[in-house]
Amino acid sequence: MAVSDLAQASTARSSAGGGRVEIARFTVLALVAVLSLLPLLAGGFLLYSLSLCFANALAVLSVSMLVRYGGEVSIGHSFFVALGAYAVAIVEHRLGLSIVVSLPLAVLLGAGAGFVFAFPSRRLSGIYLAVATMALALALPEILIGFEKLTGGFEGLYIAQDLIPGVAKSLQHYYVALLVLVLVCLALAHFRKSAQGLALLMAQAQPRAAEAMGITRSWARISIFTLSAALASLAGALTGFASSTVSPNSFTFFSGVFLLVGSVVSLNRLSLPAALVGGAFITLVPTYLAQAGDWVPILYGVALVVVTLGANAGDLRRFLPRGSGR
Amino acid sequence: MPGFFRDILPLLWSGIISGCLYGVGALGLVMVFKSSRVVNFSHGNLACLGAFVVYGFSSGSLLSLSWGSAVALALGIACAVAVMSYVLIAPIVFRSDLASTIATLGIGLILQGAVQLVFGADIVNLDLPVPRFNFSLGAIRVSSYDLTVLAVTLAIVGGLFAIIERTKLGVAFRAVSTNPFACEVCGLNLRSVHLFSWLAGAVLGLVAALLIVPTTFLSSTTVPSFMLQAFTAAVVGGFSSLPGAAVGGILVGIIMNFFSFYVSPEFMNTFLLGVILLTLNFFPNGLLERAIGGRV
Repeated sequence: MAVSDLAQASTARSSAGGGRVEIARFTVLALVAVLSLLPLLAGGFLLYSLSLCFANALAVLSVSMLVRYGGEVSIGHSFFVALGAYAVAIVEHRLGLSIVVSLPLAVLLGAGAGFVFAFPSRRLSGIYLAVATMALALALPEILIGFEKLTGGFEGLYIAQDLIPGVAKSLQHYYVALLVLVLVCLALAHFRKSAQGLALLMAQAQPRAAEAMGITRSWARISIFTLSAALASLAGALTGFASSTVSPNSFTFFSGVFLLVGSVVSLNRLSLPAALVGGAFITLVPTYLAQAGDWVPILYGVALVVVTLGANAGDLRRFLPRGSGR
Repeated sequence: MPGFFRDILPLLWSGIISGCLYGVGALGLVMVFKSSRVVNFSHGNLACLGAFVVYGFSSGSLLSLSWGSAVALALGIACAVAVMSYVLIAPIVFRSDLASTIATLGIGLILQGAVQLVFGADIVNLDLPVPRFNFSLGAIRVSSYDLTVLAVTLAIVGGLFAIIERTKLGVAFRAVSTNPFACEVCGLNLRSVHLFSWLAGAVLGLVAALLIVPTTFLSSTTVPSFMLQAFTAAVVGGFSSLPGAAVGGILVGIIMNFFSFYVSPEFMNTFLLGVILLTLNFFPNGLLERAIGGRV
């Protein structure tokens, strides 16, 4: 099968890359070690913020994944995050079960919702999807408040059940979020080299060649959005678990935009450090700049514009000598 | 049965009135998209800023000018911001639709923050300076507001189509939206056409915002979320057809009115999401594709 040949070729090339890959791997391992030992030193609020950072880093990864593999922008991923968070809360309230049950359920729900959402725009350019995600982000608060019986309306719901009884709550939140984040990063690294991942990348870069090999563009679009929504929903489940509460306050129109900001700031990379940078940016900035309130959207907006322009700066040279372009 | 008909005519009428404004908002989005292939997510935020400038300069919270000069100032500021936004994304506009679309989101966030910084999270009223009167036309009650909206919409849409159909700039705009590469080969300056469409978009957005605000109120979130209706109208019209956007606006206005009257006023955005998804699935090039063709 040709796609798996491609997979082998790419692994061969990456191992030929030698030293730099080793250094990167070492950095990531050191980062994981530091983060897993951190609770020995720090406590309380820092652990809480870091658990939220991990959960948000996952959500950022889901947006970056969509950009990388699908070449599409979503400002409505807050919908899937909310879906996961409320799944955890509602399962606990209605059925009395902990995240052992609700975490897989959240992933399945996210995948289902992602599929339903991506299906209509399967044949259209990414711009239509972006507009539809805007509607998704604006519809979310309405739905959360409207279905009051299920979602608890304005007040939201509490999540109190432990995963492992007897262990301190803050440690549980921290380690579960960290573990899932590390696992997802490993899975993403594996996905990049798998036949499926390459097929998706090919469908984006060379649609016609991909089509000739039986990978249709619409299939690629739907499957990447489904995967990304499932990941976002997983992130939401962890956000709910880590913050012990869900309410419409944490899912406004802007939370979807902020996820995109996190993704752009991490340069849409899918590695652990990049995800942490993105997650930390959107978690810590509002916490530590709480009194600067209205400056936060400005800061995020400037970050979006500057990083987007910087990342595409190769093109700036075209402006200096006129006529040398194309 | 007669009760049903007594409801339906006023609903249609008010749907058409608000639909005109959605259409005007959508025209701005489509103008920008047709020429520069960018979905301008800062459209609503810019219109909101403009409306707040009119409020600030006419109500006395910043200055107390007359309504007319406040609008002139707001138009100036909106145009200046539109030019600045275009200049910001100009380096990447040919390179990547997606990156420039993300950049417009960033500009939107900056404008949103600016509005909140200067005007706070207040909810204010901003009326139109027109004499108030009503009269009945059968089952329909027509107010001076309705007539103003109709007159302004007709004037501005008529003006826009006259520019696009009759002037050199309009010909250039149509050429660029059909084949930018050929235009560049022929020596047409793409930048000036882009700028024209961004300026037109800013003006259309501001006009729509000023006319919609009297029916609700003005706050830092109402106008940007009003633009969801404009986006829906643009999608219904196919996103690259100007008449489609205008007709799509009126359709969206009417169905939204029916939905909020007969089903629920609380799930408007969810309903619009449904409209967008259904349109994308069944009419990917817009509802009017067959009737008028995709292009102007």
